Amino acid sequence: MNISIEKKEFVEAVHKSARFAEKKTGTLPALSSILIIASGDGIKMRATNLETGIDLKLNGKVISDGVVAIPATILQQIASSLTHEGTIVLEHTGDTLSLKSGMGKSTIKTVAYDDFPSIPFPENPKNRMVIPGVLLRSLFTSIASCASSSTIRPELSSLYLSVEGNILTAVATDSFRLAEKKIPLSNKGTQGKFLIPAKNALEIAQALPDEDIIMSFDEHQCAFVGDMGMIVSRLTNATYPDYRQIIPKESIVEAIVLRKDFEQALKRTTIFSDSFQKIRISFDSKKNTLSFFARNPDIGESSEIIPAHISGSALDLSFNYRYLSAVLSLTTTESISLTAAGIGRPIIIKGITDTSLLYLVSPMNQ
Amino acid sequence: MILTGFPRNANVPCLWYQRILQSIMDKGNPRELWEYILTQIELSISSANFNTWFRNSFIVKIGEDGVIYIGVPSQFFKDWYLKKFHSLLLKIARDVSYEFRNIEYLIVKDEHRKIQKETKNVRGVMELPLDEFYINKSDSLNPRYTFDTFVIGSFNTLAHTAAQAALARPGITYNPLFVYGDTGRGKTHLIQAIGNQFKKQYPGRKVFYLTSEKFAVDYTDSVQAGTANRFKDKYRQYDLLIMDDVQFLSKKDKTQEELFHLFNTLHDTNKQIIFSSDRAPSAIPDIAERLKGRLASGMAVDISEPDTESRMAIVQKKAASHGIMLSPEVIEYVATAMSGSIRELEGMVNSIICHAQVKGSAPDIAEVRQSLRSFTRPQKNISVKNVVDKVAEYYGIDEESIYEKTRRREVVRPRQVIMYLLREDFSISYPTIGTKLGGRDHTTVIHSCEKIKREVLVDNDLLKEIQNIRSLLV
Repeated sequence: MNISIEKKEFVEAVHKSARFAEKKTGTLPALSSILIIASGDGIKMRATNLETGIDLKLNGKVISDGVVAIPATILQQIASSLTHEGTIVLEHTGDTLSLKSGMGKSTIKTVAYDDFPSIPFPENPKNRMVIPGVLLRSLFTSIASCASSSTIRPELSSLYLSVEGNILTAVATDSFRLAEKKIPLSNKGTQGKFLIPAKNALEIAQALPDEDIIMSFDEHQCAFVGDMGMIVSRLTNATYPDYRQIIPKESIVEAIVLRKDFEQALKRTTIFSDSFQKIRISFDSKKNTLSFFARNPDIGESSEIIPAHISGSALDLSFNYRYLSAVLSLTTTESISLTAAGIGRPIIIKGITDTSLLYLVSPMNQ
Repeated sequence: MILTGFPRNANVPCLWYQRILQSIMDKGNPRELWEYILTQIELSISSANFNTWFRNSFIVKIGEDGVIYIGVPSQFFKDWYLKKFHSLLLKIARDVSYEFRNIEYLIVKDEHRKIQKETKNVRGVMELPLDEFYINKSDSLNPRYTFDTFVIGSFNTLAHTAAQAALARPGITYNPLFVYGDTGRGKTHLIQAIGNQFKKQYPGRKVFYLTSEKFAVDYTDSVQAGTANRFKDKYRQYDLLIMDDVQFLSKKDKTQEELFHLFNTLHDTNKQIIFSSDRAPSAIPDIAERLKGRLASGMAVDISEPDTESRMAIVQKKAASHGIMLSPEVIEYVATAMSGSIRELEGMVNSIICHAQVKGSAPDIAEVRQSLRSFTRPQKNISVKNVVDKVAEYYGIDEESIYEKTRRREVVRPRQVIMYLLREDFSISYPTIGTKLGGRDHTTVIHSCEKIKREVLVDNDLLKEIQNIRSLLV
């Protein structure tokens, strides 16, 4: 094999594909490697950890065909240390690969590539839709953090994606809070739903391009195909809880506050939260204020009052502050609304002009 | 893996080992088949490869058309199995049996795989069913005893009806209910069934089952610990108190007094009390008159000896509960082989069930006879002639010669065996045996019996002969 690639192209591709290689040791050496393929179709980089997989297309010149597998960590370290701009020449001879960049040259031992698995495409990808990569990326990165990190319930550590009409809904919950985000699809894709492990979704998001991609899925596998190549992931095979059931339909009080106020008050009150990370929020309808209160026996206590537009009756609720501050990364609107349905019932937080987001937090016991 | 310490990557699989594994394997069992396939695969691929691809897979099922379905975690695995391991797997499966036609791969849920791993290899129901020994801690009732498993016959209809009546209006209709009958008649089953039914019918009310012996021990303990008051309170809180085997309270005066007071409290507050005993209240010796009167004050019902039809029903029900259908003649044989206790009857059925499970089929009458040899005592009303006939037939000699005065060796031994059996199993007197067997002196008979008795201890062949004859006699 003999290829030459632009340095920038090469470095980006290595960083993207290295994410998908197996990080655990003790498995198949081929799994922790990146496979570089040069053929008539051009240059490709492949990596997989059997959960997710990537097949990237690279722009470059193929001088002679061939396949080679290189440990991903080595390749990643080399890629991040390359300083010389210009083209890189990769040449495979025997069981080594020589990499020439500018005046420097490294020879890397290769790994047997026979064991490198094929990257599976959904068996009959009837369900497909076109979606801008940038939208999907922001969708995944924003709500994936709301999914459960424990693997005990695989459905809760996954994102629930469903297409109804021409709206794509993504949901993540860890049973204490829930985030639901809707994005409109420009063209009506096939209807359907699937569960993708949140961990995989985050990795995929990092490798998604800005341009339109085709998302297709079947029962066990989903794929994101674009000009850059293909990314696949295993899907979670479980049923997602009927989350719509827990969203309170009625409300007794609603507060509209400025995001800036909310953020600052929360930040200061958080300092005084106790070991349960508890802070109390009071809706005061008479004074039209929303107050934050926290007490830590070791530190002291603090209360913050911010102006708010309150409609409804007075109410006190306690929350884990981390779940409250998480909403700030989900929406960018200037003001946010908090809707409470009563003591012991979850509150709904929304961005005032942002109809796409619904964020639900369960209160802590008083 | 079961093959720890076995050389990995060995290029030539050890044939003898393979044979042994193959021969001990139950090829219809997916788990065992998979274990076998794994041991074979492990020999032919690298351990990293093995760990990566085979750790999380298993056989989901073996189809009737000879297709093995292998469950894998994801599409990656499925593709790779098809590409790399399919022919190898198929070859190994074919080596086991030509019945296996093809292998297919299924992507299965994670939970599914885990459950599969935990389920243990159970062949039939050979394992001791532990749940039978389960006893509820809060009321010490054994949930196994229910009315569903209670066989009603003419011998216990009255008791059963009384129990139902007591359940319909607890504390009012028959209070106390006193059930008595010989050991092994189903008293405990009946009173525990009442307790279990009561729990079901009246959730929220409290039931407690105990034996009189436990009551006595509890009382002495509480006296010793100085917590007699707590003892009193403990038993007064129940809505239904069931006490088994009250006859054991005889001579325990203080415990009786305590029971007397407890009885009064419960009875006055219309709490149902149920007693069981092996004899009628008036017949229990050494028990205070005032307690005796109270025990008999409600309803005293007795469970008599089960008739043959009921016994047959019991045998059938018991066997059916273990999933074994017995032929009518076997049921009749078991039911009539012995009189009295239902407990012994259950023992016999259990023994048949055990034999059936080991052999895998319902036993026929001959096998049942064989397996019940230890239980049966030959019937007493068998005729001497009958015994002589059977023994003579067994030894292949003319039965007439037994009665003759001959001392031929081949006749002497059977004759002695006959005498021994008549004496041991049928308790016929020595002179009678002598007269019946051709007018012999009773000392001759005594000598013969003693001789066989001694020889049986050292001569296993003789012992076996006698056992075989005994099984012929019943």
